[in-house]
Amino acid sequence: MAQASDLYDERLQRIKTAVALAKPDRVPCVPLGDSFAAKLVGEKLSVFCTGRPEAAYKTMIRAFTSLGEIDGIQHAGFDANMLSTIWLSKVRMPGVDLPEDNLWQVEEQELMKPEDYDVIIKDGWQKFTDDFWLNKLDNLGARVQPFFASMPAAMQAWKDLGIVPFSPVIVTIPYEYFCGARSMREFIKDLYRRPDKVQEAMDVVMPVLVEQARQLARGLNLHGLWVGGWRSASEFLSRPLWERFVFPYYKQIVEALVDEGAIPVLHWDSNWTRDLEYLLQFPKAKCVFSPDGATDIFKAKEVLGDHMCIMGDVPAEMLALATPEKVTEYCKRLISEIGPSGFILAQGCDIPPNAKPENVRAMIASVHQ
Amino acid sequence: MGANLSEMLADLQENQVIEAVKERLAKGEPAIGIIDELQHGMELVGTRYQAQEYYLSELIMSADIFKSATGLLGDAFKASGEKIGKIVLGTVFEDIHDIGKDIVSIILSCNGIDVIDLGVNVPIERFVEAVRQHKPDFVGLSCLLTTAYDNMKATVEALDAAGLHEGRKILIGGGPVDETTRAYVKADAFCKNAQEAADMAKKMLGVN
Ligand code: B12
Repeated sequence: MAQASDLYDERLQRIKTAVALAKPDRVPCVPLGDSFAAKLVGEKLSVFCTGRPEAAYKTMIRAFTSLGEIDGIQHAGFDANMLSTIWLSKVRMPGVDLPEDNLWQVEEQELMKPEDYDVIIKDGWQKFTDDFWLNKLDNLGARVQPFFASMPAAMQAWKDLGIVPFSPVIVTIPYEYFCGARSMREFIKDLYRRPDKVQEAMDVVMPVLVEQARQLARGLNLHGLWVGGWRSASEFLSRPLWERFVFPYYKQIVEALVDEGAIPVLHWDSNWTRDLEYLLQFPKAKCVFSPDGATDIFKAKEVLGDHMCIMGDVPAEMLALATPEKVTEYCKRLISEIGPSGFILAQGCDIPPNAKPENVRAMIASVHQ
Repeated sequence: MGANLSEMLADLQENQVIEAVKERLAKGEPAIGIIDELQHGMELVGTRYQAQEYYLSELIMSADIFKSATGLLGDAFKASGEKIGKIVLGTVFEDIHDIGKDIVSIILSCNGIDVIDLGVNVPIERFVEAVRQHKPDFVGLSCLLTTAYDNMKATVEALDAAGLHEGRKILIGGGPVDETTRAYVKADAFCKNAQEAADMAKKMLGVN
C-alpha cells in the first residue's frame, strides 16, 4: 500500500514537472484506451460500452496493468453515453443498434432547430439541456447517472495502484454542443445565416459551462480536465469564424480552470496547425496541448515549446498497422525532439480498438529505455 | 452584370444571389447563362479554397447557396449544357459521412458531369442496380472509415462479378483514403479532393 502511494506521488510529480516545462527524471507516459482495453481482455464491446461503469473501469485497469509501467491514465472509466453529453447526439450502441463487437457510433441528426437559439437565450442553458436530455436524447440523464456515480471509486482504484487518473472529466465550448445538436453542416450555415443569434446563445451558455467546469475541478479534486476540441478545429473553419466563435470561448474556460489550480488538457482532434500561435495567449506552463496526429506536432513544438507542455501523439493508424520497431522509432523521435522537457508521451486521441497490443507495449516501454 | 453573380456567390452573399437569379429569370433571361455564372462562382470558391483563404465552412456555405440558386432554375439546371459524362456516387455501406461526398457531387455537376447520388450507407446491391440502370462512365465511392474499407472492396468486387466494371472507372475518396487503399480495394483511381476528382474525370474522358 505504502509503496503504491509513493509510486503515485513520484509519477504525479513527473507529470507535473513536464507540465511546468521542466525536465523530469524521464518522460512520463499517460495513455488512454477504452475500446482497446475491452478488446485486449476479450470483452465484447456491447458488454463494455455502457450501463456497467464499474466493470468498465476494472476492464481498463486490467488491460493497462498488463502492458508495462504507465505514469497515469487520461480517463478513469468509460460509458459511451458520455458522448451524447458532449455533442447532444444519439449514440448507436453495439449489441443494440449495431453488431455486438462494433464500435459505438455517434449519430448526427438535426435534433436542435434554429428556433432553439431563442429558447436557450430566453430560458438558459440548464433548462434547455434538461429538456433536451429528457425528450430528444431518450432520458440521457438516467443513463449517464451510474457513470457519474462511479467516478470517485474509479479514480480511487487507479490511485490505489499508484497510477494517476490525470484528466478524467471532459469539458468543452458551446461550439461543440451546438454543432453536434444542429449537425455540422446546418451549424456551419448558421454561422453565416444567423451569426449574431448564435453568438448571443453562446454567450448565454458560456458562464454556465465555466461554472460547471470549476465545480467539477473542485468537487472531484482533479489534477487535470480534458478541454475537448473536435468539430471546432482550425481545418474546418476560416479564420474569421474561428476567431469569433471558437478561440475566445476556449480562452475563458482555460483561464477559469487554471484559476482553480487545475491543468487544462487541450484534447484537440483534427488539424489545428494554422492557429497554434493563439495558444500563446493561454497561461504559460499551466496547460497541456494534446493533438491527435493530424496537427503537426513538430510545428507545435516550434511555436509552443517554450510556453506549453505537449502530449501525444502516436497516431491510431500506426498503433493499428505498424510494427513495434516503427512505434519505438517514432516514440524515440518524440521523446528527443518534443521532449525531454515539457513532454508527455501518449497516443493521439484514443488507442483504437484494432491497435496491436505489442505496439501499445512498445509505446509504453519507450519512456523506460 | 455577368461577373457580378459569380462574385456574389464566391463572396457567399446568399440573399443577393437569390434575388439576382429571381430578377433575371423574371426578365426572361435564359437559364443557361445564369448557370454558367453560378458555376464560375463555384470555381472562384475552389480557387480561394486552394489558396487557404476559404475552408470547409465556406465550401459548405457556397454549396448550399449554389443548390438553392440552381433550384430556382427548375429542370433547366439538370438539362443544362452538354453533359460530358455521368457518375453514380455514394458513401459506402456502414459509413454515413456525407459532407465530402456532397461537395464532390456539386463540383462534378459544375464540371458538366451528371451525378446520380445514392446517398450514404449504400448497400452493395444498390450500387450494382444503379450502375446497371444508369450506365455511368464512373462509379464514385466515398469512405471515411477505415473499418468500412472492406465494404468498399466488396462493392468493387460485386461490380466486377456483375460484369459492370468493364468500360467504366471506379473513383474513390474520403478522409483517410490513399493510394494504398486504392490498391487494396482495386479501384481505378483515388482523388484527394473534389477538384482532383473533376480533373481526373475529365482526363479519363479525354476532355480538358
Ligand atoms: C464530421 C465528422 C463526423 C460527422 C459526420 C457528419 C456528416 N454528415 O458527414 C459524425 C459526427 C456523424 C461522425 C460520425 C462518426 N465518425 Co466521423 N468525422 C467527422 C470529421 C470531423 C470530418 C469529416 C468531414 O466532413 N470532412 C470534410 C470533408 C470535406 O472532407 P472529406 O470527407 O475527406 O472529403 C473530401 C475528399 O476526401 C474528397 N472525397 C470525399 N469523398 C469522395 C468520393 C470520391 C468518389 C472522390 C473522388 C473524392 C472524395 O473530396 C472531398 C472534398 O474535397 C472527421 C475528422 C477529419 N479530420 O476528417 C471524422 C472521422 C472521419 N470520423 C471518424 C469516426 C471514427 C467516426 C465514428 C465511428 C465515431 C463514433 N465512434 O461515433 C462515427 C461513424 C458514423 C458512421 N457510421 O459513419 C474517424 C475515422 C477514423 C478512421 N480512419 O476510420 C475520423 C477521421 C475522426 C478521427 N480522427 O477519429 N463523424
